[in-house]
Amino acid sequence: MSALLAATQDPKVHLTSQTRIIAALIALAFMVLILELIRRDRLQERYSVVWFVAGLGMLAGAAFPGLLGTVADLMGVRNTNVALFSIILLLLLGLALNFSVIMSRQAAQITRLAQERALEKAREQAADGDVPGFRPRSGRSTTGTSGEEGGASRAGRDET
Amino acid sequence: MRTLVFIPAWNEAASVAAVIAGVRERLPEADVLVVDDGSTDATAARAREAGATVASLPFNQGLGAALQTGYLYALRERYDFCAHLDADGQHPPSDVAGLLEEVYADRADLVIGSRYRDRGAAESDDYRPTLSRRIGTSVFRFFLTLATRQRFTDTTSGMRAANRRVMALFSQHYSPDFAEIESLQLAVRQGLRVEEVPVRMLERAGGASFLTPLRSAFFIFKGMIVLLVGQFRPRRREPVEPVPLRKARAGQ
Repeated sequence: MSALLAATQDPKVHLTSQTRIIAALIALAFMVLILELIRRDRLQERYSVVWFVAGLGMLAGAAFPGLLGTVADLMGVRNTNVALFSIILLLLLGLALNFSVIMSRQAAQITRLAQERALEKAREQAADGDVPGFRPRSGRSTTGTSGEEGGASRAGRDET
Repeated sequence: MRTLVFIPAWNEAASVAAVIAGVRERLPEADVLVVDDGSTDATAARAREAGATVASLPFNQGLGAALQTGYLYALRERYDFCAHLDADGQHPPSDVAGLLEEVYADRADLVIGSRYRDRGAAESDDYRPTLSRRIGTSVFRFFLTLATRQRFTDTTSGMRAANRRVMALFSQHYSPDFAEIESLQLAVRQGLRVEEVPVRMLERAGGASFLTPLRSAFFIFKGMIVLLVGQFRPRRREPVEPVPLRKARAGQ
């Protein structure tokens, strides 16, 4: 706590109370926006945590401007601006990478979903036998398949 | 013994029917599946008319996803062997039979139809690749041979034949972006026997190639990254188990 107080009196960071109030208001507005997005189902809770942390960080910066000086000292950076920007840059980089990972996973899921649907349609078509000249499959391959996924379409094929 | 020949097709309404007819003529025992990769033209309708089963992806997913759909179908529907060829009519269906002979005889798990492996000067005159394609081909050939320590002449061939081991592997792991090269590397690293067989390449019956020089350069760059990453995937040490027909569905 004493370190925090010392940081508050750090001469390196000067903010007028007006600036601090504006910064705090922006941080609060940001967090309200996040809440509103969740409420309207535009943002899922699991992806909102990081944004709330960001909002709290902004609020903390507004409330204790000296905090940044402490962090800069801990990083061994003389210029607090450099410290601020490098922290933000690294966080955003990590976040963007995280999104790419999520996007890749979802792309794979979408592909598999599309494939499953295509296979289902093809199976239906093969079972209906509406293909001119389509040969029904030999009975040998359908033995021992009961009770498995796709059993219905298989049974339908046997009738044709 | 059942064989599936599948044909990935994206807006190939002009040529798909002829390809299907050729396959049905040459391989009357095989079932034909067209994987319609979100075509906006009459590809699916033409394919059905020509007597193929059609698996239509609801939107365009790329060649890799389309091929994987075919492998998935072959695996799930308990085919013993499968083969695929391009829908643009550049692959002579008669060559597919030659590829399938190799997997029927169990000389290989995966057989690649190579346009560049020599089979006599007279026949190789059929196909004249563009300069950017030739550069890409030799770059990939070099790096894939380096990565797999096995000689490959045609790394981007779209004509292949496979058994159930390959179906099981490719239906689970198949890069959507860079299907051809990565799949070869993966198959070799998984201890599968991959073999090349010379095939002919005909001029395109319809449609246009998607490769421009800039795209080719990007394609090559992406391919090299894919190969590099692939080298860090686990390599199988123990011999490969055959994939039985009965366990196929459970193997998700």
